[in-house]
Amino acid sequence: MVLYGTWSTEREEGLIVKFQLVTLSGMKLDDDVYEVVLPTAAGEIAVFPGHEPVVGIAVPGAIAVRHEKGDANSKLDYFAITGGVIEINPLGLKVLVDEADSGEDIVEAETKAALDRAIKLRDSAKDQVELEKAHQLVDRHAVRLKVAELHRRHRR
Amino acid sequence: MPSTRALKTRIRSVKSTKQITKAMQLVAASKMRKAQEAEKASLPYTQVASELLTYLASQGETDRHPLYKQPEKISARLLIVVATDKGLAGAYDANVLKLYAKQLLDDDAAGIKNNTISIGRRANRFVTRIKDVKVVAVYQDLPDDPSGAQLRAVVDSAIQQFEAGAVQAVDIIYTQFISSVNQQAVVQRLLPAGFEKTEVSQTVRTAEFEPSAEEVLEAVTYRLIEAQVYHALLTARASEYIMRMLAMKNATDNANDLIDDLTLAMNKARQGAITQELAEISGGVEALK
Repeated sequence: MVLYGTWSTEREEGLIVKFQLVTLSGMKLDDDVYEVVLPTAAGEIAVFPGHEPVVGIAVPGAIAVRHEKGDANSKLDYFAITGGVIEINPLGLKVLVDEADSGEDIVEAETKAALDRAIKLRDSAKDQVELEKAHQLVDRHAVRLKVAELHRRHRR
Repeated sequence: MPSTRALKTRIRSVKSTKQITKAMQLVAASKMRKAQEAEKASLPYTQVASELLTYLASQGETDRHPLYKQPEKISARLLIVVATDKGLAGAYDANVLKLYAKQLLDDDAAGIKNNTISIGRRANRFVTRIKDVKVVAVYQDLPDDPSGAQLRAVVDSAIQQFEAGAVQAVDIIYTQFISSVNQQAVVQRLLPAGFEKTEVSQTVRTAEFEPSAEEVLEAVTYRLIEAQVYHALLTARASEYIMRMLAMKNATDNANDLIDDLTLAMNKARQGAITQELAEISGGVEALK
């Protein structure tokens, strides 16, 4: 590790993670950050600089991003994802998801209405296929609602 | 010769048609640019997925997975055909549907049964009229930028059919945007899954796979198929818009020509009427003498 010299960067010293949130409609976020919390099948994991290389699976949930080391919880950025693939290496982290909605972009009231509709659909599902689709919808909107709530609570 | 009043009405009607075609031409041009940009934006996604798959394939994982299994014999095939909702795009729909019909004939000759998923109203109307083709699903009015949920609906039914053994291959027929003057209807294989091999970084080689390489493979494969369908839909949209733009440009040009011709005819008719009136007047004067 280089401690002196003007050419030493924060990344070489291992203080930041290069975080890329890759979605079908493009790079949602490509930034140097301090910490990323990801929802995985084994629970939430927090990725800090210097993490061991891991390739894993993300489940539907919220990604939380802390941009600077000293940032308070109120400054966290949230993204709702519907599951995807995670690739962690010592320098950074790539998350591959179909869709990622930023907490800022989600309208809480609309999502709440969508969730209610999805729950109704689930309760009135006639066959297994419909039920499965409705379950997916419920999960998706529940995650989006959670992210919107987290965003609102912390930004107040 | 038609009256000047009738000609005037026709000119007015051609002019309003021209306004519409001109507007559609401009709208198509701007939408085409957006579709092209969206298609480019999805590239990093495909790259990351391809890198992981290349590594997993080198570890022999793909040989074991059912979605990669090459069938010994294809006895049924699922075709996903992508056309427009409203036409008005020159030969676009005709080209796609011609290719689709050709596939059906070839399969028929080879004794292969066909299932179809059709996307776009024009395709729906076509496939539902054909005998001996099982239509699995029809989609219409998909937005220019299909959401994950809409894509999953298509991808899920394709994978379901393949995994259940109802079909041994899944192909998608769409219009590839090659350049602004060249768009071609093509057939691309989705399943058994295939991908282009790329460079694998050192970090992926040393990475641990959680919970297992098999499950990661499953997730990445699904995402790659999804990306392939997304790409097909977007490039088809870009082609649709550029073909509509050209069709509408031709229509606008034709309307201009027609307006010129009609204006000329109207002027002639008006002049003819004036000459006749003068002749009548001078004839009348002569008669009074």
